[in-house]
Amino acid sequence: MVTESVNVHSDTSPPQRLGLAVLERRDAGRNYTRLVLAAPPAWESLPGQFVNILCESDPRAAAASERRPIEWDEGGEWPVAAGLELGRGKWPVVRRPLSISRVLRDGAGVRLEVLVRQVGPGTRFLAARPVGAPMDVVGPLGNHFTPPDDDRLCVLVGGGCGVAPIFGLADWVRQLGRPCVLILGATTLDEVPAVFRSPPAATGDAVAPCDGMADPDLGSVEAILSTDDGSAGFRGTAIEAARRRLKDAGDDRPVALYGCGPERMMRALARLAERRDAPCQVSLECFMGCGIGVCLSCAAKVHDPASETGWTYRLTCRDGPVIDARDVVWE
Amino acid sequence: MTRPEIDLCVTLGRIAMKNPIATASGCAGYGEELARFYDPSVLGAIVTKSVTLEPRQGHPPPRLAEVRAGMINAIGLANVGLEAFLDEKLPALAAYDVPVIVNVAGSTREEYLEVCAALDAAAGVAGIELNVSCPNVKEGGIEFGLDPAVLTRLVEDVRAKVSRAALIVKLSPNITDIAVTARAAVDAGAEVLSLINTLRGMAIDPWTGRPALTNVIGGVSGPAIKPVALYMVRRVWEEVAGPRDVPILGLGGIQFAEDVVEFIRAGATAVSVGTANFVDPLTGPQLVDGLREALQRLGLASPRDLVGALNLDR
Repeated sequence: MVTESVNVHSDTSPPQRLGLAVLERRDAGRNYTRLVLAAPPAWESLPGQFVNILCESDPRAAAASERRPIEWDEGGEWPVAAGLELGRGKWPVVRRPLSISRVLRDGAGVRLEVLVRQVGPGTRFLAARPVGAPMDVVGPLGNHFTPPDDDRLCVLVGGGCGVAPIFGLADWVRQLGRPCVLILGATTLDEVPAVFRSPPAATGDAVAPCDGMADPDLGSVEAILSTDDGSAGFRGTAIEAARRRLKDAGDDRPVALYGCGPERMMRALARLAERRDAPCQVSLECFMGCGIGVCLSCAAKVHDPASETGWTYRLTCRDGPVIDARDVVWE
Repeated sequence: MTRPEIDLCVTLGRIAMKNPIATASGCAGYGEELARFYDPSVLGAIVTKSVTLEPRQGHPPPRLAEVRAGMINAIGLANVGLEAFLDEKLPALAAYDVPVIVNVAGSTREEYLEVCAALDAAAGVAGIELNVSCPNVKEGGIEFGLDPAVLTRLVEDVRAKVSRAALIVKLSPNITDIAVTARAAVDAGAEVLSLINTLRGMAIDPWTGRPALTNVIGGVSGPAIKPVALYMVRRVWEEVAGPRDVPILGLGGIQFAEDVVEFIRAGATAVSVGTANFVDPLTGPQLVDGLREALQRLGLASPRDLVGALNLDR
């Protein structure tokens, strides 16, 4: 077995466009797929950063990555300007931004994990890439979470696909030797993007650590599961689970909150942090046109005392996705 | 067989470009974002995001959605405003060895005149592209771009303020005959015609009935609009640009080098690339290389030899 150590370097690579091969494809709960990509040895990214992956708008590349026979003669005729395949339904055009979930070093190699939630044709395409297929990746992009510089308790809350960067952040915080609790929220057990050795117990009103998470394997990190329907772990929202866990930790215990998930969950986390007067960083999720700061579509409303209106827009791709929860104008 | 030495240089009005590939307005920011991926000096020109007199926040999100073979956007001319552009963005852009074309939008004639005059006086501005065709913002200039009489007056007035920079007018495709506005712009003093801007469009969630964009309507771009753009370039080239010797900066759905060849054959002297930058940030340099390869294949020494070259034999 290869010992894997977690990437803890603090400098991140400049964004590049790279062809990364799929090393592994693992199911990770209903509609979720965990893809492991082979990144170059020099790859440096930090939890919170993301990659923007092409869903092959060029049929030649799509054919190559699906290992379909390429029907035109590459060496002879000038390749046709095929553009998009109009006949194939809603073929995706722009890339899909995916949080980097974990970065694992295995000898000289770097294994980059992303979590794909199959929502539409683009993400279904990504989730179906076979092992060995090249992925057209731009990254690492965006900013990252910042762990506290003291030993306060870090409470990391992830909802749905938002657990992806939270796993990587748990790796980092653990590596730094800081105390850490992970709270994973989903509507039901099937929707938890993780694999368990045995079905995790339903604990009803009790907030208790859940043992037996096999993928990802976060080692000794305390993980608490919450489901809306109570099918596993705490019955209720991840925020309610976090609130109870914080109560157990004691009102005087300094904490830092981190989150990635649906906006309603992040808003509730921000309120919890405010009541507790704790620092809170959240990663915002939104549709992106370019991911590199040029299309200006991923604008998020933030407080701005310098502006007449008291707010301004900040680009999620360039100035985010991680943001201090106090800066967000929650709507 | 000896191959001709390929020279990609073209002249767009008074702008000397080392190759015919430019970034399209709104798809390359102010250059600094793409500079993380490649040296912008390899491009023929950079066309900036629209600049207005005052900074603009833009529309509330969602501002962009994917549609079949393209996308639709209503950013709302979000930009830093003239002052910050001149102080912060332009000096950085001007440091690259590439002509800078500044796209200008306005809601009043006075705003256009003030911004154009300031840009004409600024060092490092090779061209001014008048945006009279933003489909998404009521005050974004489209009312200047659809009525030939109104367009003539605006371009004449701007012409009087712009002497150093090349004056480019970006035409809207949201019109019955684009040759009418093309003629009006050239008569009023446009040195270069840029076409096309996005096509007005919509996208609706079929189940909730909610438009994909907060602004409800937006501009369609990407490969979906390429045939329309090609036709319009051809129409303008035949009716106005060819006979009057006015160069065209063609754009609309360009993604591959073959697309560039098609636009040049339709009548464009140079092209801008927009949406494709989102799909692949390296599109610009790839098109420069691809065009060189295409010319080699065609046995031509320069893209200038290809402008307007259709073969109508069957």
